[in-house]
Amino acid sequence: MSGYKKPLPVIQPHSAEFWKGTKQGKLLIQNCDDCHSPMTYPRKFCSECWSTNLGWKESSGKGTIYSFSVTYEGVEPIFHDDLPIILAWIDLPEGVRMTTNIINCEPENVKIGMNVEVVFKPVTDEVTLHYFQPTD
Amino acid sequence: MSKGLAIIGIAEVPTKRDPERTRWDILLEVCMGAVRDAGIDKNEINAVISPNPMAQPEMQNDMALGKIPEVLGLKGCRDICITNAGGASNTNCLRLAQELIDCGQANFVLIPHTTVQSDIPPADLINFFATAPLDKQWEYPFGVSFNGSMGLITNRYMHETGATEAQMAAVTVALRAWAAKDPNSIFYGKPTTLADVLESRMISTPLKAKECNLLADGGGAMVVTSHEIAKTLGSGRHAYKLGHGTRFMSATPFVREDLFHRKAYRESSQDALKQAGLHIDDMNLRQIYGAYPYTQCSALEGYGVCKEGEGARVWADGRCGPGGDLPCTTMGDATGRGHTGSGVSMAFYIDTVRQIRGEAGERQINNCDNVIVTTSGGSVMNTCTTIFGSEAR
Repeated sequence: MSGYKKPLPVIQPHSAEFWKGTKQGKLLIQNCDDCHSPMTYPRKFCSECWSTNLGWKESSGKGTIYSFSVTYEGVEPIFHDDLPIILAWIDLPEGVRMTTNIINCEPENVKIGMNVEVVFKPVTDEVTLHYFQPTD
Repeated sequence: MSKGLAIIGIAEVPTKRDPERTRWDILLEVCMGAVRDAGIDKNEINAVISPNPMAQPEMQNDMALGKIPEVLGLKGCRDICITNAGGASNTNCLRLAQELIDCGQANFVLIPHTTVQSDIPPADLINFFATAPLDKQWEYPFGVSFNGSMGLITNRYMHETGATEAQMAAVTVALRAWAAKDPNSIFYGKPTTLADVLESRMISTPLKAKECNLLADGGGAMVVTSHEIAKTLGSGRHAYKLGHGTRFMSATPFVREDLFHRKAYRESSQDALKQAGLHIDDMNLRQIYGAYPYTQCSALEGYGVCKEGEGARVWADGRCGPGGDLPCTTMGDATGRGHTGSGVSMAFYIDTVRQIRGEAGERQINNCDNVIVTTSGGSVMNTCTTIFGSEAR
């Protein structure tokens, strides 16, 4: 897996737990234990109330497509083998939106509002990325 | 009490792709041009405030660390600075210039921009536009490009409003119709048709090639001064800044609640109009810098020119292009002009000056006394709205 040439997420100390989760097949959502806001992505402190009292909840990994865009060109050469790339924003019932790719689906079948579920793919020994696919 | 700000000198080189033309060559030409256009002596310039030349680190250092007044021999220059808020950098140059004028440190400020992108490898430019305004942890690993990000927003805009592909394409047709009449556009003399836009290569659905930005080279410069001084220069008819409002949303689009910026357009324009003592209906021209067609639609909705969700139809009805009753974006936006990094907002301000002076040639709006201009930076992280009028108030 050391041959993975595409960009890896730039992981911060406060997001390490999220990426530990994806390695274990868990989609973790960070929440504020004081004001109970979900973090759209992990933070060092709550972006609503600045509390550092933050915890993690495992998401069901099932959500809906808020929007998508199928990219046919205009990406760096390292992504050329992946074209077309289905970019998507997924709304999870835990109250957060994620950017991801829809996989195991033909581009013409993707729809806004479609039900999808998380799929984990290890890309290096350290990093496992979270993709989504249609639920049947 | 602010002394106000007026743009009294402008110069521009045509936007094109020409790696033979260097950054400094463009910069020196527009600096000299704007000072001469203002009708002042070079040594009357008291400060040089420049927009950051995006993706050009060597030029950034030259401009940030004082080369411009040295090379131009500006003996009256008291300070220099560059600003970086992406596409909204020029708006910040105007704000900072106003501060120097208000505190008595400057009578005249030079604001020059230069960009050459044609000598940068395409893959590097794609990387810059994907990583600079987007998220390197949560977006970039998934192959998100700038066009892809704008495709995600546009798709949702069309889903919510029911705007059709043909209506969205009509925005580009109108922008290119303006650009075709502008000698400074990369598309001068090159209008496009609905069929050409719809049949152009798909880049990131629903955006086709002609709806995306052509990265280009260009440059422009402005000289600004106080309202009182401007009134004594030339005919006294200049672009006077009358009001300003600004709103920030988010760096990355996927966390943005106001995804189409309607609230930000509405609030920033209301603040600016209130200061100016004017109403949106008083505006003779709407200059919208959003770089992608959906912004031309949602800005009209945010300004309150049309109902929410009807922006695309207003464009498709031909009301915003040449000959329409609601002229918008006569410089063609980045779609029609070519994208010159932080220079697009400079081109918007320069075009606003031309329109107010009555020097916009075939694109001239009759009796153009009041103009609303909104610029944005990054992934449309903010809306910076300014009202310009032909007279100080």
